Amino acid sequence: PASAQETVTWKVQSHWPGSSSSYTDSLGRLKRVIEERTDGRLKLQLFEAGALFKAKDTFDAVSRGILEMGTISPSYAQDKMTLAGIASGLPFAFRHVWEAAYFHQNMGFEQMLRDEAAKYGVYWATDKVYPTEMVVKKPIKSWDDFTSLKIRSSGALQTFLTEAGAAASYIPGSELYSALDSGIVDGAHWGAAQGAYSMGLYEVAKYHVKPALNIAGTDVIIVSQKALDKLPEDMQKIVKQALDEQFWVRTNEYQYKERVTLAKAIAEQGVQINTLPDDVQAKLVKTAQGMWDEEGKRSEEAKKALGMLKEFLGNLGYL
Amino acid sequence: MSIELLTLLFFGSLLFFLLLGLPLAFVLGGVSVVFLYFTWGFDSFFMVASQIWGTMGSFTLVAIPLFVFMAMVLERTGVAKDLYRMMHLWFGGIRGGLALGTLAICAVFAAMVGISGAAVVAMGTIALPSMLERGYDRKMALGVINTGGGWGILIPPSILMILYALITGVSVGQMFAAGIMPGVLLMVLTAIYVLVRAHLQPHLAPALPKEERGTWGEKFRALRAVLLPIGVVVMVLGSIIGGITTPTEAAAMGVLGALISAAVYRQFKWSIMQEAAIRTFKLTGMIMWILFAAHAFSAAYQSMGAQDLIEGLMQGIPGGAWGIIIAMMVIVFFLAMVLDPVGIMLITLPVFMPIVKSLGFDPVWFGILFVINMEIGYMTPPFGFNLFYLKGVVPPGITMKDIYTSVIPFVLIEIVAIGIIMAFPEIATWLPGVFF
Amino acid sequence: MGVLSAFMKGITRLNDFVGRWIALLVFVMFAFLLLEVGFRYLFNSPTVWTNELTQLLFGVYAVMSGGYIMAHRGHVNVDLIHSHLAPRKRAFLDIITSVVFFIFTLALLWFGIDMARDSMSSWETSFSAWNPPIWPVKLAIPVGTGLLVLQGLVKLLEDIAIAFNLDYYRPSEQAEEEEEYL
Ligand code: NA
Ligand code: NA
Repeated sequence: PASAQETVTWKVQSHWPGSSSSYTDSLGRLKRVIEERTDGRLKLQLFEAGALFKAKDTFDAVSRGILEMGTISPSYAQDKMTLAGIASGLPFAFRHVWEAAYFHQNMGFEQMLRDEAAKYGVYWATDKVYPTEMVVKKPIKSWDDFTSLKIRSSGALQTFLTEAGAAASYIPGSELYSALDSGIVDGAHWGAAQGAYSMGLYEVAKYHVKPALNIAGTDVIIVSQKALDKLPEDMQKIVKQALDEQFWVRTNEYQYKERVTLAKAIAEQGVQINTLPDDVQAKLVKTAQGMWDEEGKRSEEAKKALGMLKEFLGNLGYL
Repeated sequence: MSIELLTLLFFGSLLFFLLLGLPLAFVLGGVSVVFLYFTWGFDSFFMVASQIWGTMGSFTLVAIPLFVFMAMVLERTGVAKDLYRMMHLWFGGIRGGLALGTLAICAVFAAMVGISGAAVVAMGTIALPSMLERGYDRKMALGVINTGGGWGILIPPSILMILYALITGVSVGQMFAAGIMPGVLLMVLTAIYVLVRAHLQPHLAPALPKEERGTWGEKFRALRAVLLPIGVVVMVLGSIIGGITTPTEAAAMGVLGALISAAVYRQFKWSIMQEAAIRTFKLTGMIMWILFAAHAFSAAYQSMGAQDLIEGLMQGIPGGAWGIIIAMMVIVFFLAMVLDPVGIMLITLPVFMPIVKSLGFDPVWFGILFVINMEIGYMTPPFGFNLFYLKGVVPPGITMKDIYTSVIPFVLIEIVAIGIIMAFPEIATWLPGVFF
Repeated sequence: MGVLSAFMKGITRLNDFVGRWIALLVFVMFAFLLLEVGFRYLFNSPTVWTNELTQLLFGVYAVMSGGYIMAHRGHVNVDLIHSHLAPRKRAFLDIITSVVFFIFTLALLWFGIDMARDSMSSWETSFSAWNPPIWPVKLAIPVGTGLLVLQGLVKLLEDIAIAFNLDYYRPSEQAEEEEEYL
């Protein structure tokens, strides 16, 4: 370990662009807290999305110890992490953010993720759990409205939406605004209210769809175990504690900002909330549940996590 | 080592090896690797591979081979040649007439593409031989293509503006709207320059002699030559505006249009297609290897602490609010000589934006100044990417020196445009106010 | 014909062969993009695979071009000093600057192999909705870079021959061959 007085600087690669609220709220907070508590002995040097490593290589870079810290979405580490699919959210599983938080921290899912990441020399700490929600240009009032939609999506949710009968296609983020504006797609999801707001999506799509497509730990902070081990013990403790707190602080704060942002969008841009009709919701839940089992097939851990999840949802009376 | 000293060494060695004649792609890549080794160690080379992987996965770049291929087909089948013949018959009487026609085509191209590179290569293929054949001064011809080929990032759609919006949090729609009038301003200024220069020095952009200007019958028959290019443009622009395709997919519509044109010209032959494909491969590959290395280069520079340098520079700038804005423009101007736009944005915007906002300036307006500055950067020696892309298509007799010196007046024009937009911000801010 | 000139000719032929085939991918990319537009716009049923496959092909197309372009002197440089030098002096200069070329390409080759091996150890897929294997595209990085390195070696051997008047390579033949292509 480094001597107690030495100053260490960590390079931190974000997967958020600078304008994203999480860049300042999550990374900014972490930097401030850690630098304060270590009396400036550990400094975080932040880099915006893509500056050093592309999002999908950040896990590798941290795993190799080239980067000391990074932020990712679990889906960027799917080739290594068999639990990533569950971590990045099964569609229509949780109905409230607190449930996902409880599942992560009190039911032991977070520890399972941490154990699997440890195999690659990575210390895993979920930044927050939060919903992913759609915005659409025309309100969804019936099942037909839903199935006639063209939606910009990605990853597991794209599979889900396609399976459910909508026409989901992947369009890169850089072309999302134009695509929605000109009507190439009628809907999209980019985080929830804050994401849509930061991408300017409310300018061209006025309906914010509830409930969430999923609620999950979609943002993760990863630390190189090698870098962590090099710190003196008191500093290691400070870092881990800061990360543990981070989950609760950010999950709560994010909820608050979601509501504030949505209120602003409603007041300033005439956005309306489009709650899916009950029959549409029921059909979506049914499609979703049919897809969950796929994720359990990836490994023993994944099977166990899925079992835990089902039991948990059962106890809540959702299954 | 301090970042100031590193910057000097880094850019100094870049310039050194570039002057010695090593291709740009390898200079950028090699210098990055050497500096990464000394600042971060051997393992950091993973970053170079990662940046290349990331660049390979950038969907918007797929438009490059398609637009280049479109241009190759239009050129090889004779469509472009007839277009220029038509322009010559109609506007050849005016000194600089062909240059104006070229600028007009550039403007249309700019509305079709959202990235830089494709337009310069395409226009270099289509317009350069036609202008040289008709006695245009090579610097006039090169300069016009260089400047017009860069308009694509200012006139919507523009991937660079989307990136600006993403980093700074302004609205993409407002950025797009804001780019239109400054784009028109640039076109008008450039056209005025070409006309005045051609009037004063007729040998630079000669008019067609009276006896060769053709009869009205010939002129109208020649007009048929525009139908096909207009058809191609309608297919591309129509599918973007009509919500049929994304700007990247629209490039495929352009190729379709070019292929239809080839068929109409009875030139839809395998030999022509194959040759066009191979030239496209060569040019796209040249662009891509420069981008591979450029992205590695700016990642390496950022890892060394480029942002600290900018932060340091921004402290203690005299001259109040306007002094700061001008200082920012000067910094971007110099960075743009050596870095790619994405890198420049990532390095400077996080430092600039809070300052711009706290001084009470409109970030959309600042974005337009920034984007025009990027355009200048694309064509300023020694590293301006458009200069290299153009070098990739020019006939053997034309040297880098010709290309370097050709841009000087056009760079000055764009600086004048920046000055005008600074003095009259409404040029940028009026349209977004109307739309949003 | 000596071993050296056989090696040089062989590598150039190989890059030519590879380049001529890979160049045709532009037709495939065009067709897939058009197909996607058609499916989405005419039938309201976008595919999950066209854009992603186009993207992957583009990656291969781009990274495999290095050697072919090198063989045809298509990597642009600044010729301010070059154009004023006699061929022998130019060759000397190119021998010196080739160090920077090899530093870059060998570093890329090394970590490209590393990246590809890592990807192949799990037969990595993209985990998109379509979820195709992406290890072949990652493998293209070291393969494409390797071809570039080999062609760089050929260029170095040519420069050495010119600089020291060695007879395993005569520049004139090469120049004539070039003419045929473009
Ligand atoms: Na454009
Ligand atoms: Na430049």
